[in-house]
Amino acid sequence: MFICKSKLESRTKIIIMMIIGCLVILLDSPSALLVCFLASILLVVSSMPTLKQIRLLLIFLFFTTWGLIYSQGIFYNAFPRTVLITLVPVDFPLIGKWTGGIHVYREGLFHGIIQSLRFNSTLVIGCYIVWSTQPRDLLLALSQLRVPGALAFMVTTALHFIPVIASEAAAVIRSQRLRGARYLRFNLFASVRGVVNSFRPILAGNIRHATNLGESVESRGFSPETSMQRTSLRSSQMGRLDYGLIAVLSLCLICVIALKVLYFCYANGIYYGSWLRGLYTFTREIL
Amino acid sequence: MVPIQIEDLSYTYPSRETPTLNGINAQISPGDFVLLTGPTGCGKSTFLRTINGLIPHSSGGTLTGTVCINNSDVSTQPLATTCQQVSLLFQNPDDQLFCTLVEDEIAFGLENLGIPPDKIRQRITTALEQVGLSGFENRRIAELSGGEKQRIALASICAMQPQVLLLDEPTSHLDPRATRDILNIVKQLNTDLGITVVLATHRVKQVQHLCNRVWLMHEGNLRLDLPKNEAFQDDTIFHNLGVELPDSTDTTTPMSTKRTSLQHSNGTILGVHKLRFQYPNSDINAVSDVSLKVSRGEVVAVMGENGSGKTTLLHLICGLLRPTAGEVKVDGKTTQQIKLRKFAGKVGIVFQNPDLLLQAETVRSEVRFGPKNLKVKSDKLNVLVNNTLTQFRLSDFAEEAPYSLSRGQRQRVAVASTFSLHPDIFLLDEPTSGQDARHLQSMMDRLCNQIRQQNKTLMFATHNIELTQKYADRVLLMHEGKLIYDGSPITAFNDQELIEKCSLTF
Repeated sequence: MFICKSKLESRTKIIIMMIIGCLVILLDSPSALLVCFLASILLVVSSMPTLKQIRLLLIFLFFTTWGLIYSQGIFYNAFPRTVLITLVPVDFPLIGKWTGGIHVYREGLFHGIIQSLRFNSTLVIGCYIVWSTQPRDLLLALSQLRVPGALAFMVTTALHFIPVIASEAAAVIRSQRLRGARYLRFNLFASVRGVVNSFRPILAGNIRHATNLGESVESRGFSPETSMQRTSLRSSQMGRLDYGLIAVLSLCLICVIALKVLYFCYANGIYYGSWLRGLYTFTREIL
Repeated sequence: MVPIQIEDLSYTYPSRETPTLNGINAQISPGDFVLLTGPTGCGKSTFLRTINGLIPHSSGGTLTGTVCINNSDVSTQPLATTCQQVSLLFQNPDDQLFCTLVEDEIAFGLENLGIPPDKIRQRITTALEQVGLSGFENRRIAELSGGEKQRIALASICAMQPQVLLLDEPTSHLDPRATRDILNIVKQLNTDLGITVVLATHRVKQVQHLCNRVWLMHEGNLRLDLPKNEAFQDDTIFHNLGVELPDSTDTTTPMSTKRTSLQHSNGTILGVHKLRFQYPNSDINAVSDVSLKVSRGEVVAVMGENGSGKTTLLHLICGLLRPTAGEVKVDGKTTQQIKLRKFAGKVGIVFQNPDLLLQAETVRSEVRFGPKNLKVKSDKLNVLVNNTLTQFRLSDFAEEAPYSLSRGQRQRVAVASTFSLHPDIFLLDEPTSGQDARHLQSMMDRLCNQIRQQNKTLMFATHNIELTQKYADRVLLMHEGKLIYDGSPITAFNDQELIEKCSLTF
């Protein structure tokens, strides 16, 4: 896997991911979520991804955005909701009566946009970390952030083996087809069983790879318990940029939490301060 | 230099009832070069893992007895301490390399030990010199050949300056030239630096001239522990256990495994025309302008150095990969135009790693899987499955889970389950990998006999000259994606320049 350039230290990247992960859960307005999404995109751009990576990211974004907006548009079940397009009218034989009509709702599309911005922001940050961090740096960063050793190693190896798993999965599925296997059948049970069976060699391969790699790194002295005494060939100190970015994002997160708490108190009649009216409006309209 | 003392060592894996190691007593003197051999599944890898402390530190199970290095028991001292004395090189370089850059990979172990960065740089330079890859510091590991990757893996443990080097089948994925390079480096480390070496392998012939002591294992026991000169005086025990012997040059061909003049082919079954293939992330052709024809009843070996395009060619033939240019015709039909599923019964493949094929809960259902998909009638299906199980001597394991079997047995299951479809073309990728001589010969004998009897075609990719001489009617030599020789094995192997070019000389 090609590793992009990034000026940020691995720990900073993980902390940024966590802060943005919290922000996208707390924020509700499309404009605020769009800011988060654009900030994530900016990080990816700063790491100078390859054309192939950009293409892959655009494909991911297209499918998640389209899928979320489309599914929320159709399956939105909150009220009020406004029908924009009717796909299957209520009086359509069988399906119409059975489903009560299939419509695309305006509020659903709006909700889909919000959900896709949430999902895509974290997706973009995830891609940024995977593309711009060496597995060993990620492992070290997770250990330094006191993530349990076993979990840190699992995360790192999972990322390390993504290309291997993808190629083995393709080989397994194709070789089963060469033995006459059919994955799509009218018999749903048989289809599911076929897919599950194909997962067996893939899973066994993953376990074998992970075990071998685990033994290899342990044989070279890696241990979560001693990670704090570890030295590094490359300087991996957090610099001004790292501290600055973490400070700004942390401040944003604290402010958003504070504003949301104030607004919650106001909306639920727990506390109201007239001098805070400006903040209530800001929270409702912008956040 | 550290002596190693092993006393009454037994080990049982958590999921097993019978011990994998059973009361082993041995000792290694400083500077020894020990050849550890034995049939597949005899416990060689487990034994090495107890010497470097991975067992019991990183595994469950029950360990009794002791392994003492410099009078310290490795089961009680921290793994981080043991790894400075004993290092282990694994079989597959792709499974043990962790970083993107060579420099980072070698530094990884040293960083874990808390060595200052300036010393790390010195040690990286020295380690790369030792493995003959000076100047590779900033190379990307993904761009290296299989042999270079294994040398980097060796450098990464040499940098930790161990006094004992354990090697677990370190050359099983490598072509003969890369194998020779790795073994020469190991010998040099042993001679020049006095590093004690324990090398586990099936390929006794390749290592016997380097070692001074031989350990032979069988079913978890150390059956033989002798100096080299004495070890090979009586070869009965090696023969009985099916282990390759240093002087075994048996390339004679049984009547049943070579085509006789009475066995006539019925025309071309496979046609490859100006075939070219480029992997998506690569600028070079993995297979380039390959044209050939294969007749029914032929057994064809595909040989060449690591990365020469052997596996890619096999995958293109069976339709797992789609050609960038050119075409593959199986029985007159172009593979590109037919769905993969329609090839079932026409072409079958067994990968280098047979586990990628095993998906059923029992050996019987694994063998049944293909014919059942082809809707073979129930009564015929049962006969077919039983016959296949008998032909490949799997009847005793028919109701067992494929993954519970040994590596050699798993490969036989993979071969049998592909063979049960009776494909016109049977493709076998590197059958020697991880196999001892007896398992390999038994499997190839059975497969070739069936192929001949049924006038089918077998193509196998290998680095093993003896295997080709013994079983193949014809050999294809690949070099940098191109087919540079297509003809008789005898003629090919008499051409020193040709076999040197394909890295087939050891």
